[in-house]
Amino acid sequence: MHGSRIHRSGGGLDRMTRFQPRPRKEYIREQKEKYGRRIFGVFPAQYPKEIFWAMNALPVEIWDPPLEVSQANAHLQPYICSVVRFGLELILQGHCDGMDGFLFPHTCDSIQNLASIVNDYLGLKKPCYFFYHPKAPYRASSRDYYLKQLKDLASGLEKQLGPLNLDELKRRVHQSRGISSLIKEIYDLRAEGKLRSTNEEFYRVLRQGEFLHPDDFLPLLSEFAGTSRGESKKGPVVIMSGVLPSPPEILTLLDELGVRIGDDDLLSCSRRLLAKPGGSEDPFEALADGYFAMPPCSTKNSPVEERLKHLVQKIERSGAKGAIFYTVKFCEPELFDIPQLVEGLKSKGVATLVMDTELNQGVSGQMRTRVEAFVEMIS
Amino acid sequence: MSLPKKIRYSFMKDYGAPALMKMAGMRKKKRRGKTSPLFGPPLRCNDRLKEIITRHYFLSRYAEGAKPVAWVTSGAPVEILRPFDFYTIYPENHGALCGAQKVAPELCALAEERGYSQDLCSYARVDLGVCLTGKTPVGRLPKPDLLFASNNICQTVVYWYKVLAHHWRIPLILLDTPYNFRGIQEGDVAYMVRQLEEMIPELERISGKPFKEEKFKEVIRTAKATSLAWGEVLATMKARPAPMTIFDAFGHLAPVVSLRGLPVALNYYRTLLSELKERVERGVAAITNERKRLMWDNIAMWYKVRDYANLFAEHGMNFVTATYTNAWAETTPHMDSDRPFDSMARTYSLVILNNNLNHRLHLMESLIKEYQVDGLVIHSARSCKPYSVGQYDLKRLLMDRLGVPSVVIEGDITDSRAYSEEQARTRLDAFFETMEN
Repeated sequence: MHGSRIHRSGGGLDRMTRFQPRPRKEYIREQKEKYGRRIFGVFPAQYPKEIFWAMNALPVEIWDPPLEVSQANAHLQPYICSVVRFGLELILQGHCDGMDGFLFPHTCDSIQNLASIVNDYLGLKKPCYFFYHPKAPYRASSRDYYLKQLKDLASGLEKQLGPLNLDELKRRVHQSRGISSLIKEIYDLRAEGKLRSTNEEFYRVLRQGEFLHPDDFLPLLSEFAGTSRGESKKGPVVIMSGVLPSPPEILTLLDELGVRIGDDDLLSCSRRLLAKPGGSEDPFEALADGYFAMPPCSTKNSPVEERLKHLVQKIERSGAKGAIFYTVKFCEPELFDIPQLVEGLKSKGVATLVMDTELNQGVSGQMRTRVEAFVEMIS
Repeated sequence: MSLPKKIRYSFMKDYGAPALMKMAGMRKKKRRGKTSPLFGPPLRCNDRLKEIITRHYFLSRYAEGAKPVAWVTSGAPVEILRPFDFYTIYPENHGALCGAQKVAPELCALAEERGYSQDLCSYARVDLGVCLTGKTPVGRLPKPDLLFASNNICQTVVYWYKVLAHHWRIPLILLDTPYNFRGIQEGDVAYMVRQLEEMIPELERISGKPFKEEKFKEVIRTAKATSLAWGEVLATMKARPAPMTIFDAFGHLAPVVSLRGLPVALNYYRTLLSELKERVERGVAAITNERKRLMWDNIAMWYKVRDYANLFAEHGMNFVTATYTNAWAETTPHMDSDRPFDSMARTYSLVILNNNLNHRLHLMESLIKEYQVDGLVIHSARSCKPYSVGQYDLKRLLMDRLGVPSVVIEGDITDSRAYSEEQARTRLDAFFETMEN
């Protein structure tokens, strides 16, 4: 295990500095040199990472790279969301040159077409994989199709990476189950007010799973869970829904205001991290079980009533007084659901705040004022 | 379904609608004004088209309770609904109509007031504005019993229909069509075939009618003949001068989209085709001075159709093809009544927007060659991401490979607030200049 080396900036327990992530570039280099791992850039959101791990490959997720956009605008219109824009910019600026390929899960129309731009038009000469997951409403055919997609992805990767060892896949599925269980435990502690961690730190730790190998991520989570148990600060509790906890300035703002995010419904976080693979002996079956056990999600076309029910459960469980919809501008799957979710929550007496943001742009003065007014209302 | 409503519907179909058409025809004769010297004589079929669409919306008011009503996305395999006798409404077609009548911004604003972001597809916002307030230029849309969607044109339609399903608490049936990232895969076809089969009991339950495969096959035969006829209609624009413009075709597209599988649409296109062939034989041009031939990419800007028709005609430029109008003809060869489920899966999976961008590039290249296109106008439609993302690259590649000049107009399909006349005119002036060099 080498997780303990990667997340401490010092031996002390300075809550502002502990569990800092190592620079991704350095970590990726080490993964390649030390373990011979192949590196894949993966676009949001849902994909079977266990297959990559089993093939000694490291999926590195591309959500909100800290960049200035300069080249992507020659390919994308101004009305395309910043997740897609920054992802393309990362490729165009050459930051992915050392990667061995890309994976594009079918999350939305924009990522779908981005996949085609990268595969068909950029001339990168890197393998691009596409992963289509069936959309709700689900029927019997959905599960069979998903299983086939898993196997097709595995056989596609085999052509590049060599044969997939099924025992190794079983081991990685088991490990993934462990990670999900631990994340669930941490979420439970947070919802119950028994985790001494700021919003910023909580998501900083969680988001390291977007690029850490499970051999590193699991010990990080264990240590975080172990050292962070304790009473949360008193203050109002909210839940956060949306795509990802970024720009992260919202988290520090809520910390400053003494607000705890007791639970979330973020696409990059609880919507995909809490559902563990099933217990089947067949690893593909186990992965399919995990996929269909995931919480409702706009990108899978889950019905609005399912999402509403799910949000209400989270609110009741965490004792939240309000819900913040913190979404990325131009994100159609989220923006379509929000009005009915807001209406449904309001009818149950839950206060709501809707904000759409551009990544890497921090929190504007106007947004800050809106958040402050919202917090005052629920305090 | 209630008996009185069935009787009322039958009465309106047999007597009400014909009387309305007669009155509308008389009003039209009185109003008919001068034609512009920029254009050839108007198509005789225009009146028939208007009759068909007016009748369809008029009767739809009486369909509720008399027949099962389905709201359908433009790319969904409507053929499977026809054997169950659903009355089908196409909200996208209705959105286009609202766009053309320039009432879309007002309807969009109604949805925006209820929390729907201005960044969402304007077809959806128009429709949500209509559903939430009941306002529509067609009088009234029937409340559906079923929402029927396919994500072969975009995921957006499913997000939108989910909102409707929640609003009315009605079922939503989806044909999930995996994106053809590397061409169609047999596993994907099998998945779609199974879904179509799985839909049958749901459709039987909702409509209260049993599925009859022979009827399904008959509908497919009619739909295929209709789409083939539509393809032939479009192909008449290969003639120099072309007998109609793509702006005409945007209007004449309505039956193949919303009445596909019904004899009325097939008969209409046979009549239109015969008129167009006659025009080609007689050398009747759509615009009187066709010097340059253009292609349009993306959905129409419905609020600018007339203005653009005039503007381009003034410059002696005629749009003779469009990726958009072609979409309802392109996959017709896959329709096969002997393999109804398999062929429906292939036909609807292979539509332009469900294919990778290389497919689009090759399609545009072949249209440019077949229709002898000199230039390309690319509508970057804020509402339609699957159509628009990739257009900047397509523009560059078509210039590199075929030397075809093009211009990108930033706008929207129905919401004119997203269109800047000044910016568009500056770009178009530069384009006109390039085309003259």
